[in-house]
Amino acid sequence: MKRIKKTVSLLLMAILVVSLAACGGTSTPPAGTGGSSGGSDENKPILIGHEVALTGGSALWGQSEKNALDMEIEKINAAGGVLGRELKLIAYDNKAEQAEGVSVANRLVQDGVIAVIGPAQSGVGIAASAVFEEAKIVMIATTATNEKLTVPEGQTEPLKYIFRSCFIDPYQGSVAATFALQDLKITKAGILKDVGSDYSTYLAKYFSDTFTAGGGTIVADESFRTDELEYKAQLSKIKDAGAELLFIPTMQKEAGLAMKQARELGMECYFLGGDAWASDELVQLGGSATEGGYFVNIASLEDPAIAQWVEEYTAKWGKAPTMPNPVLAVDGLLAIVEAIKATESTDPTVIAEWLANCKDVPVLTGKLTIDPASHNPLGKPAVIETVKDGKFVFHKGVTAAE
Amino acid sequence: MNFSLIFQTLVTGLAIGGIYSLMAVGYSLIFSILNFSNFAYGMVIMLASFMGYFAMSKLHVGMGVALFLAMIGAGALSFFNERVAYSSLRKRHAPPLYFMISAMGTAIFLENMVYATIGSQYNAYPQIFEVPTVTIFGASLGKMDLFAIVFSVIAIYGLNYFIQHTRTGISIRAASYDSTVAEINGVNLGAVIGLVFVLAGLFAGISGVFLGIKYMAYPNMGWITNKAYVAAVIGGLGSLPGAVVGGIILGVLESFVSVYVSSTLRDVFSFGTLIIFLVFMPSGLFGKYLEEKV
Repeated sequence: MKRIKKTVSLLLMAILVVSLAACGGTSTPPAGTGGSSGGSDENKPILIGHEVALTGGSALWGQSEKNALDMEIEKINAAGGVLGRELKLIAYDNKAEQAEGVSVANRLVQDGVIAVIGPAQSGVGIAASAVFEEAKIVMIATTATNEKLTVPEGQTEPLKYIFRSCFIDPYQGSVAATFALQDLKITKAGILKDVGSDYSTYLAKYFSDTFTAGGGTIVADESFRTDELEYKAQLSKIKDAGAELLFIPTMQKEAGLAMKQARELGMECYFLGGDAWASDELVQLGGSATEGGYFVNIASLEDPAIAQWVEEYTAKWGKAPTMPNPVLAVDGLLAIVEAIKATESTDPTVIAEWLANCKDVPVLTGKLTIDPASHNPLGKPAVIETVKDGKFVFHKGVTAAE
Repeated sequence: MNFSLIFQTLVTGLAIGGIYSLMAVGYSLIFSILNFSNFAYGMVIMLASFMGYFAMSKLHVGMGVALFLAMIGAGALSFFNERVAYSSLRKRHAPPLYFMISAMGTAIFLENMVYATIGSQYNAYPQIFEVPTVTIFGASLGKMDLFAIVFSVIAIYGLNYFIQHTRTGISIRAASYDSTVAEINGVNLGAVIGLVFVLAGLFAGISGVFLGIKYMAYPNMGWITNKAYVAAVIGGLGSLPGAVVGGIILGVLESFVSVYVSSTLRDVFSFGTLIIFLVFMPSGLFGKYLEEKV
């Protein structure tokens, strides 16, 4: 009964998402007001839009994004601006809702921005991207990890004006495999994945591809279905196959339980997972079994590569940034600034073309290279965190092997 | 094939099968007397799991006390469930289908009450044993699983003794055989039904706490009780030995399918077994009744 109910509600939700996205596609912004108007006047500031959730459940991350961008733009303007002009940020609250995201997009287009940072959510991003693509304005999403954001369903070419500064989910699988091979130096890995989740199956696939290509062997590839709580049968098979590492690309609930059950079976292998582990519930549910487990994350406060920036932010705003959004927003902004400088143009079409082919652009988290075929960042550094005394601590930064 | 993996698989299957059995007993008890499937029972188990969790993590009592409190709480809840949702239907001689609809309503109500008041987060019980496992013939068995199996065997044996050998037990059996005739012969049917629900509630209390310790307490625990219902049908709804055997069969089958066939196909096999049983043995392994099996 419960399962049917869940399926029906998921289906309804999916229909809603699709129809909202379609709505976004049909709403045509007023012609002439958008486009390059922001770049027309030599003395006026260059307008950068910010699609952000400043209220609601995602506000914590949204506020932090805005603080980071405000700080960064202040610094750029203090250093003389870009092409001799000041930058100005226009931030509107989209409440992390799709309908709001579309109306915010229309307002930004009317205000005459040349580029937009955000949104952070894939659903909102997909809805808003239709408006920006139509109005020919560059959009760089922050933490929207859904593949379809830049390359819509059924298309092979990416949307011309839509980019993102975060890596997509499956990339984490490659990062994890690289870490397992190069740092943990293991060659035999087992996988326990959730077949009811795309996130989990794709992470597992990318892990297995990179791991095998690097000379490792997947000795057991086991699965369970979402909501199952008993994994001992699968785990004893993985143990029997002699896995030195168990990759668990699942949500924190399943991962915590799986680690607990694995240790109960006497498995002494490494545990490795993706960013879905990053919740306190992991340690609550898994208890001492989670100790020493590694997982891939987008960014960490303790990453030495951004330590100076975190310090600056904390000094200015009186509290640490809420990861990982602010870092990705700043990456997006710096990419746009570099594009304007390099092309000496504020025409979004010129900027979009430059971004699509850019290589090794200096940004906050390192060097940004965009894949022209997907508009996703290539080889973006990820961080590995580990559980120590029940807390998540930074272990090291890793970039996936080619 | 190596022996220790076979043995480990068997042990894992028995541990989960034991819990299926406990829960299946509750379904069967109620079915035996009212001839309907009480789908609200899963929610009583879920609430019992929360009671045990709050007792252990907030009142800081030991597992024994938590188990006792959860049994009392679930027994009372199950009793009120009958008085509020089913007794008026019973007095009007409503067909079993109406009971089942009322049970589903109760289940959805209780689940959403928990979402609204406690929230959807996962709640882990405090760790009970410092070293949680013992090793037998190369297979690791959770100490908690071992305790659960022993405790369940005692509880089920006690229940069986009570039903077979006491006067009250005889009146329960009489009522389950034919409630009208039993009533004519002086059995207080209302009291007997109330007692059956309390007994089922006590078992819900035990299974809720064991499930909570083994996994965790959270509002959407319903799926695992569905499996217990499948176990009850395999064993024959209404039969206590059937519930126990059905639970063990399902647990062991699932475990072996996961290891030797495919973990992805596990549910395909367990529910496939259910369909095969319903086709060839509609009344299950030990079932007596066929009518109104819903």
